[in-house]
Amino acid sequence: MEHIAPWFLLLPLSLVTAAAILAALAGRSAFLGRLGIDRLSLILAAFPLAAFIILAAYVPALNRNEVFSWRIAWLPSLGLSLGFYLDSLAALFALIVTLIGVLVIVYGGQYFKGDESAYRFQTYLLLFMTSMLGLVLAGDVLTLFVFWEGTSILSYLLVAYKYKDEAARQGAFRALFITGGGGIALLAGLLFVGHVAGGMDFATILSSGDVLRASELYPVMLGLVAFGAFTKSAQFPAHIWLPGAMSAPTPASAYLHSATMVKAGIYLMARMNPALGFTESWFWLLTSVGLVTMLAGAYLGLKQNDLKALLAYSTISQLGILMMLIGQDIEEAFKALVIGVLAHALYKSALFLVVGIVDHETGTRDIRRLGGLWRAMPFTFAVAVIAALSMAGLPPLFGFLAKETLLAAAVHPTLPPLVASLLPWAAVVAGALMLAQSGLLIYETFLGRPKDASRRGHEAPHLMWLMPAIPALLSVGITLLPGPKDEAAFLAGAAAAAFGGKVKVSLALWHGINVPLLLSAAAISLGAVLFYFRGPVRAIQWRVLPRLGFNALYQAVLAAIFRGARLATRVQGGRLRLYLETMIVAAIVLVLVFTGGRLLPDLSLARLPAMDFFGATQMLRLFALLVAVGAALASLLLPRDFGAILALSTSGLSMALLFALEPAPDVALVQIVVDILATVILVLALTRLPRGQRAAAQRLALSELRSRRPLSLIRDLVVAGLIGLVVASLTYTALTSRPLRDSVITPYYEANAKTQAEATDVVGAIVVDFRQLDTVIEIVVFSAAGLGAYMLLRPAALRAGERGGRGRRAVVNGSPVTKGIAGAETSAFVRLPALATLPIAMLIAATHMIYGHQQPGDGFTAGVIIALAVALWYVVFGYEETRRRLPWLRGFRLIGMGVIIVFVVGAITYALTGFFFAHVNFGEMIGLPLPYGFDFSSSFLFEVAICLTVLGSAALIINTLGHPDDTDEETDAQSIVEA
Amino acid sequence: MELLTALTVGLLFAIGIFQMLRRNIIRSTIGLIILANAVNLFLLSTGAYDGTVAAYTTTTGQRSDALPQALVLTAIVISMGGTAFVLSMLYIISSRYETADMDDVQGLKH
Repeated sequence: MEHIAPWFLLLPLSLVTAAAILAALAGRSAFLGRLGIDRLSLILAAFPLAAFIILAAYVPALNRNEVFSWRIAWLPSLGLSLGFYLDSLAALFALIVTLIGVLVIVYGGQYFKGDESAYRFQTYLLLFMTSMLGLVLAGDVLTLFVFWEGTSILSYLLVAYKYKDEAARQGAFRALFITGGGGIALLAGLLFVGHVAGGMDFATILSSGDVLRASELYPVMLGLVAFGAFTKSAQFPAHIWLPGAMSAPTPASAYLHSATMVKAGIYLMARMNPALGFTESWFWLLTSVGLVTMLAGAYLGLKQNDLKALLAYSTISQLGILMMLIGQDIEEAFKALVIGVLAHALYKSALFLVVGIVDHETGTRDIRRLGGLWRAMPFTFAVAVIAALSMAGLPPLFGFLAKETLLAAAVHPTLPPLVASLLPWAAVVAGALMLAQSGLLIYETFLGRPKDASRRGHEAPHLMWLMPAIPALLSVGITLLPGPKDEAAFLAGAAAAAFGGKVKVSLALWHGINVPLLLSAAAISLGAVLFYFRGPVRAIQWRVLPRLGFNALYQAVLAAIFRGARLATRVQGGRLRLYLETMIVAAIVLVLVFTGGRLLPDLSLARLPAMDFFGATQMLRLFALLVAVGAALASLLLPRDFGAILALSTSGLSMALLFALEPAPDVALVQIVVDILATVILVLALTRLPRGQRAAAQRLALSELRSRRPLSLIRDLVVAGLIGLVVASLTYTALTSRPLRDSVITPYYEANAKTQAEATDVVGAIVVDFRQLDTVIEIVVFSAAGLGAYMLLRPAALRAGERGGRGRRAVVNGSPVTKGIAGAETSAFVRLPALATLPIAMLIAATHMIYGHQQPGDGFTAGVIIALAVALWYVVFGYEETRRRLPWLRGFRLIGMGVIIVFVVGAITYALTGFFFAHVNFGEMIGLPLPYGFDFSSSFLFEVAICLTVLGSAALIINTLGHPDDTDEETDAQSIVEA
Repeated sequence: MELLTALTVGLLFAIGIFQMLRRNIIRSTIGLIILANAVNLFLLSTGAYDGTVAAYTTTTGQRSDALPQALVLTAIVISMGGTAFVLSMLYIISSRYETADMDDVQGLKH
């Protein structure tokens, strides 16, 4: 094993994942579908079986105290990595997970035989197996947490598998609610642990136990981690989710809720014991919670009528025992822990599977209706007896050994006096109750007279009863296996990993007459008495303390959450403007809080412009600022929407002037074309609104401004004024405190624009070379906006396409006077210049793309300019004819082409230089004879790509907004027809 | 100049917000565009160099800061895309609620 590569650790996990994928594909593929779920399950089971064998192959090396780990950097900047770690403790759990997994998959194939939809179940189960395996093999706490959450979610899917059943959904939700809540606490706790220990991986954490225990955060860490483990492992009072989760199909219950998932909390605590354990608080917390859980589970189990519920409560009891054992600080406890984990996994999964068979063959799990089944189901009966005797803790079964070691741990002298006197008797009582339950299960189901003649049943298929037979026989034979020394050494290794020191484990059943044996005898006798008087005892149980009330608590918590949610939604008045206003006020308050109310900045820093009337630039700038504000104000005050749009356009253009005076010619150019395009689409949108609505909105705008009760107007004014003041003062502070002439980035760009990007235009170089990725994202966002607009309006567009196809074209063709947008008539005098515009626009666009690196202008401008020409066509020729005349204008295709060019060019430059999106001059490389100033380079191609995407997206927007569907007469007519 | 720029940005912002709070949905869209203009103006004026010549490697003298210009270039195009998207949403609103009045849009009401 020494020569095994570390990544070999990934094999078990990959195998199980592959099986999950295969199961998922089976639902889709005809070939695998014809196989039938039972035969397919045999194939699927081979994968976890292989994983089991691989893991078992590690055992000899693990017995020599070797550990295996593998890790890969995940987010190195945050110190996160994905890692796996295999020692004896992890291997013990991993072997259980894979072995029981094999059995459950095969069994599930029989259980769901003939149900084709069961592929879904097997997929979930295998995915769960992946998560569980990942959880126990995790090499650091974050990997562990990811898989931990995976088990919670898949448990939800499995419990709610019969999703049409209300009870199944509620049970699943309850389990998710409780374990999910625990998961959040666990994450916080693990982060604390990782922070204090100085690393997230187990090697670091386990070796820094002293630091962790000495930390003042210790109580917080302990509380959070323990809370997560307690909820997962169904400790009192979080145990209530486990009985509810019994509405899962039985294979899932056998796997998740006895052998694996509920052990996750046990595993975590055992794993963390060397780091967090051996303190007073650890001892008291785990011992008390474990003790109460043990007794409550054992007590509640006895009164159940549903076989699965009975098993669920006995599982809770067992989990309590295990949790309690981890709390101790003696060797014997950890010996008892590993033996208990293994014994319980074996007998409890066998019992669950047996109950599944009974349920499957008779249709009920209620012990009041079963009985006398041993004749009909001899094999199942035999398996059940062996497993139940193990659960009862009777010799010579493995369960006996588990109980013996537990009792040995319970009578240890180092315990505090109170616990020392209480613990053995509590263990005896729990043992007795457990024995009585085992008896109840066997007697009421298989022996006695049949209570319901319709529930006779018959033997299950061999494969089905063989699956529980394997763990049942193992629990007999584990003490008789050929090499008990090896098994004992392996368990000793696992116990040592949890204990943090050497542990001796012997699997011999007979240790001579000692205190544990006497206690065991006491437990057996008391259990026998309880079983004999089971009728009266159960009757008393039902009458006294009918329910412990924790379900009511859970319901109350849930109801409180829902009430809170309803209350929160009642605040929602539905007025969007009020939401906006609330947000703005909140922003103002936040700024005031964080600036300490010192809103007005230091005005002495102001450098007023020299009132130099000959300095034309300054005066022009003043003028532009005034126009920008004035036009914006006009857009507010002008009564007609159309006028307001024009005023807005004016304000935008004066922005362009401001930008030009900066001087920022590239920005100014883009601002001009974008402003025009924005105006066009605004007008288009305006024409799309039905005339009635438009007029109403118009009147509204007027009446709002001239309202007699201007209360809301004043409120809006105050809010707008305040936010304006805040923004102005923030801007002022930002501008006066900026580091003038002290930039690191800009000089770098200026110095390298020529050499690295062959550009004289630094802005252009930044956009298409230095920060090219930004630009890529930007054009993708812009495309998304165009596609989004198209998708939103597509239903209308499609409707129009169907109708528009018939009537309209006849009018358009060959007519000297055509209908432009909104049905307006356009004459030849308008059409001719419009025709010429598009080629000219394309020419301008081409120069922008070619010379964008040396002169103002770039791909955006180019794209928008062509889009503007197209918009003019829409106005002049109308929708149909534009579409007919410009068949190449397909938004999707243009966007697609642009994006493809970007990435193809990126890939080529990567291949050539090793840098994605590097600047490469292809023309120079292959010696193309190009005119002066025209570089056939990656930058040029990139500009073309930008142009294509922008044009495509803009075309989509104009297309959808400029659609003839909603010219007034049509919509009005339509709405009348519909009404 | 900082004071004037700050005042302009603040005024444009206030006007934009006030417009956005109108019931007429066309006016709210106009408000959104004014808001975008204000933000772009702010971004552009944060440059570390108050230049007198454009940012070309061939020019001499104090160049204006190229970095915020490149950022604003992107911002302008994106805000136009945003505006177009908002407009198509407004159209959907107007056809679903059959109104151009913000206060009649009550889909979020409990």
